[in-house]
Parts: sequence; structure tokens; C-alpha cells
Amino acid sequence: MQEPTSEVKWMVNPLTYVFRPKVTEKFEFSDSELETLGSELKTKVNRVFGHSLAIRELDSGSDNSTEIEISNLASPHYDIERFGIYFVASPRHADVLLVTGAVTLNMAEAVLKTYEAMPSPKFVVAVGDDACDGGIYKDSYAVLGGVDKILPVDIKIPGNPPSPKEILRGIFSLVKKVSV
Amino acid sequence: MNSNKNTVSSLLPAGSKSRGNYQIPSNSAVLATLSVLATRYSTDLMIDIAGKEPKIIKGKNNEFYIPLTEKEFLTTVPALSEKGFVLISLFCVQNFEEDPDFTLFYIFRLDSSTDVFAFMRYVRRETTSIATVFPSACWYEREIRDGFGIEFTDAFDKRRLFLHEAYPEDFHPLLKSFKNGKIKAIKNPKEAYPFKKVEGEGVYQIPVGPVHAGIIEPGHFRFNVIGEPIFNLEIRLFYKHRGIEKLAEGKDPSACIPIAEAISGDETVANTVAFCTAVEKISGIEIPERANYLRAILLELERIYSHMGDLSGMITDIGFPRMTTPFLILRENIFRQNEFLTDSRFMKGAIDLGGVKKEISGEALSKLSLYLKTFVSQFESATEDVHTSSSLIDRFSTTGILKKKLIAPLNITGPIARAAGTTYDVRFDHPYGIYKDIPPERTIKIAGDVLSRFEVKATEVLNSASLINKLIASIPEGAIIAETTEFAISNIPDGYALSMVEAARGQNLHWVYIRNGLINRYKIRTASFCNWQAIEHAVPGNIVPDFPLINKSFNLSYAGTDL
Repeated sequence: MQEPTSEVKWMVNPLTYVFRPKVTEKFEFSDSELETLGSELKTKVNRVFGHSLAIRELDSGSDNSTEIEISNLASPHYDIERFGIYFVASPRHADVLLVTGAVTLNMAEAVLKTYEAMPSPKFVVAVGDDACDGGIYKDSYAVLGGVDKILPVDIKIPGNPPSPKEILRGIFSLVKKVSV
Repeated sequence: MNSNKNTVSSLLPAGSKSRGNYQIPSNSAVLATLSVLATRYSTDLMIDIAGKEPKIIKGKNNEFYIPLTEKEFLTTVPALSEKGFVLISLFCVQNFEEDPDFTLFYIFRLDSSTDVFAFMRYVRRETTSIATVFPSACWYEREIRDGFGIEFTDAFDKRRLFLHEAYPEDFHPLLKSFKNGKIKAIKNPKEAYPFKKVEGEGVYQIPVGPVHAGIIEPGHFRFNVIGEPIFNLEIRLFYKHRGIEKLAEGKDPSACIPIAEAISGDETVANTVAFCTAVEKISGIEIPERANYLRAILLELERIYSHMGDLSGMITDIGFPRMTTPFLILRENIFRQNEFLTDSRFMKGAIDLGGVKKEISGEALSKLSLYLKTFVSQFESATEDVHTSSSLIDRFSTTGILKKKLIAPLNITGPIARAAGTTYDVRFDHPYGIYKDIPPERTIKIAGDVLSRFEVKATEVLNSASLINKLIASIPEGAIIAETTEFAISNIPDGYALSMVEAARGQNLHWVYIRNGLINRYKIRTASFCNWQAIEHAVPGNIVPDFPLINKSFNLSYAGTDL
């Protein structure tokens, strides 16, 4: 058995860092496809949603990979706040509800309440195969089916799970649809 | 008993507790005996108590089944608890083999032995609880009551577990008489779930969830607080119950792979490997060496990206976004490696019965190996940075302590248990696949606080990276899928097997029972199912603002628990 080590083994005297020069490292990464999509999206968001699009995410029974991909949108590779899109903590602040997963019987009430708490006009996006049509759970006793069984869905983004870029494309098609 | 006087303790690794006067046979049989120590020990215990040797059925994957009479069961179980056995699962099967009623399988393990064994208890509509002796049985018994309608008459907690108020009271989905299909849900249920009530001056409750503020899964937390400090936390889960176990019934094994992948998205590889291993053991498929290596590489990649999420999450939850950035960048790079290797960022569809689905070329593997070198140096610099922040250490240290004494009674496993002074790791204790030959390094901390969990997870990321490099360096050429797979699966005999895998969160246990070529029962128990109960114990005494941090440091799967 390995000898247990002391608690704060790596603790370094912070004073040595106080006098160190502060530098910001450049994050060497560019994805022209993402940038193009993002700038088109930003133009639309500016016009249709008054410069900012507030999204509330709701898990109604996914396998959690879709949540991970949605939260990845805020990570440095994507950083979608640049395009005027951000995630909010309350449905009361949201324009769009992103719903992931087939709606389970145990979540149905919470899904409805979340939707009802949003101010109008409001939009619903189903993210992932399960949210689109129930996916592999279609015939299970425990789910209602796709999100459209319980809420009016504006856009469906299929995928198991859809990648962050696919989700962003889905949001773009929602914004386009709304602007017409 | 053999005359040789070797005691068990002399055969166990240094530091393990002595197990009394139990003796095992002579040296030549030592290795063979060590691998089946838990079962031998329990049967000897039964000879002591019941006076006769029980019938032992050898399973397909180093597990043993011991059918018991009710009297034998009731007298032996308390003794098992005293001797340090851990109840790792409890599940029910209806019409097992020729039995007309229900069979309960109580799965036990013992530290330092590679086998596990199941006590089989035959019950009808009613039976008794063992939750006072093995606390981890509480959730399992509630689960069985919901699924099969079996009443545990003397149980102290008889509330429903995965069936919430929307389900009718007499509905039991896992009964064979219920054919899977839509049911009529109860609208506007009258009775609310009875949470534990705490009353007194200055005491109030904070209900949180199931819908949370962040982008996370749903679950309900009920805090009882006096001012800032929390003195009781009750967790209610299963909002995401999707009926996975029922869904698998009646399917042929290969159709079940997408179901295994959907148990918990970020444990895709672990659960699929566990499921496939069980089916392979039943059908007698030997998977090729190269496939074993590739499976381990994917398992370790999964551990890396999962742990990276936890590390960045812990720092985010104390409001330190600058420090999280490097972890997020590295994690996204790993997702891209996953996609490059398997065409899926979560490695869905990569594992198949008999091996792996797609060949990963030597060139792709050396690219991965090369990337991991950069990864390791950037990761080390990011973690070093973390340790220069005294305010971060202040928030992490002594927060959310998980006591070691809870680990065995609740069967807590994975990095959170290794951060609280235990060594248990399925990759060592019940080695499978390539881990038999190439074991990873062990990491242990003793304090059990958030800081220890951070450090264990950080070290495990590095260990996994070095293990992947080791595997890539020695991976043999050859087939990636056993040639006999198709034939073996289409001629699969009736049978059952248990398999365990060390997922990023700990011990995942799968039990598959096949009849007439189809899945008759598929029991899944992920590490999160047990580990959630650890949070209820680690939180009291801490202040409310530390809860998100503690929760993130455990980072358990809701989907994997709710099934």
C-alpha cells in the first residue's frame, strides 16, 4: 500500500507569485467555420433579440452527454457569449428553453412548470435524439416521448449527442426562423 | 480444513486487517485460494453457523452463487457484516431458472480478494429487510419494492424510490406480467413525498431542485439549516428514471449496446465494456488481445475527460474562472482526440460484443501518445497554478469530509473513496481485461475532504495518461474482434454472469441473465447509486455556500443512478 502523503503537499508560498510578472497566454486556436457561423448568428441576434439571447437549459431525462456538450459551448474553444448568447439560471430570464432527453414521467411536471415560468414570447428547442422523438426510450413506460409531447417545439437538433457546433447551428436556425 | 497454519492475514497485503483465526490450505493452493477467498471465507462461516456446507455454484466470471434457505440466510448475514464483508449489490429476478417466484441476489465482496459471491434468497410477496445490518441495502430494498412489489415488512424506510407520485401505487414495472408500454400517469397527485421533518427554533428548510440553476441534471436536495450551517441533507433522485432495465428485457444482446451506452453518457465506455464482458462470459467468447488493449485505452481516455470536468467544476464553484480555463481547454482537446479515434466525442459505438467496432491504426495511436505528452505538461502547469492560490486551498481544505468508516457500510467506491483512505479499485481488486497484466498506479489520500478529492482526481488523470502511453507502447497487432462472435451470440446458451468495471466514478456492476437467446434480466448498478449516499453524510456541518463545491467534488451521475 502506498504511504499516505500529507494534505497540502503542493501548497506553494503565494508570496513568491505576488511579485511574478503577470502574463496572459494566447490561446492558439481558430475554427473559421465556427467564426463564420458565430458572426452570422450575432448579426441576427442583434436584430431579432435586441443584442442578447438568453437560454435556459432543462434536462428532462437525457443521458447527461447532451448537458456536457451544451455547457461546452461556454468553454474557450466555442465561447458563445461572444455572439450575444448566454445561459441564464432562471426560466424567468430566458428567451429560449433548450430541453434535452425524452421527457420522463417523473420530470413532466417540472418541465411544464419551467416552461410556464418563462416570459412570452418564448421558444423551445429539443436537443438530442431522445428529446426529438423519444429515441431509444420511445416505447418505455417511464417516458412520455419527445419534448413535443408536452411543449410546443420550435426546432429539433438531432444527435447522440449533437456536437457543440451542431447545437449552435440549431440555435442559428431558430433565430432565422423567428426573424422571418 | 488443511493442517497448514497460514492465516489469512499473512497472505493479505501489509496494512490489511487480520480476519481472526481463519485458515487456508497449503501453499501450492495459495494463489488459487486467494482468488476465491471471499467465497471460501463465507462458506466456512456458514459451516460454523449452520453446521453444514452450502451448495456453491461457480459463476462465469469469478463470481459464486450460494442458494440458501431462509434460516441459513438470516443466521449468516449478521456474521458477514461483523467480519467486514461489503454488500455491493442487491437485486431481484422473477422466475429465475425454474423458480415460480422471486430470487433475491445479495452480492458481497471482501477486501483483498478478487472474487465476489451472491447469496440467493427465495421469496414470495413478502420478506425481511437487512438494512439495519447492511445500511446500503436500504435503497436496494426500496428499488425492489418499486420494481417487483415485494414488501420488506420490517424495513425502516418504506417510501417509494424510483417511482414518483405520477405512478399509480400498485404499478410494478419489472414484473414479468407487465408488458412494457405507456401507462396512465396520475395527474395532480394528492400526496407529497414525505421528507424527513426537522423542527425547532431557528430551523428552516431549503428545497432545491429538481431544476437547478446551472446546466446540470435534475435532482432534489432538501436542506435543514440553522443559519448558515447545514445539519441535515436529504437527497431525492430518480427524476430521470427512463426504465432502462425493463427496456433491455426481451432484446437480443447486440441490440442492448445502445441501451448500455445510454446509462450515463460520460460513462459510455465503462458501461458498454461491463455489459459486453458479461455477455462474452456467458457465450464463451475470448476477446483478442489487441481489443483488450484498445478497450483499456478508451476506458482511460474516458476517465481523463470525466475527471477534467470535475476538476474545472470544483474551481468554477468557488468562483475562480481564470483557473478553470486551462482545464476546459485540455478537456475539449481530449474530446477531439476521442472523436478522432472513434468518430464520437463520447466514444459511443466504439465497443462491440467480442472486441471493439473500429480499428484504431498505429498511426492514430502514436498521434494520441504524442498529444498526451503536451497534455501532461500543460496539465501539470495548470494544477501547479491551482496550488498557488491560498484562497482556493482555504475553500477546498477540510470542506465536505467523507469519513472512512462510512465507506464499507455504504459501499462507496471510486476516487472519492480513495481520497478518504481506502485502496479499493476494481482494476486491482477484481482485475479485468488488460489490467490483469498492466495495472495502473494507485493513488490514495486520507483526509476525505474536497482538497483530497481534487488531488486524487488530478493524480489519476496523470496516471491514466501514463497508462495509455504504456498501452500504446506495447499494443500487439491482430484482430480487434473475436472471429467466433457472430456464431457465439446467435447460439448463446442460457446463463448469467456478473461483471464489474472501474468507471471514472467507481465500481459499476452489471448482471446479465440470458434465456432463449434474449435478455431476461439486466441489472445495472453504477457507482453513483451508492456514492450519492456519501454526499448526505459529507455535507452536514458545512455551510450552504459550500454545498455546490462538495457536490461537484463528488460529481455523481444522476442518469446512471435513475436508470
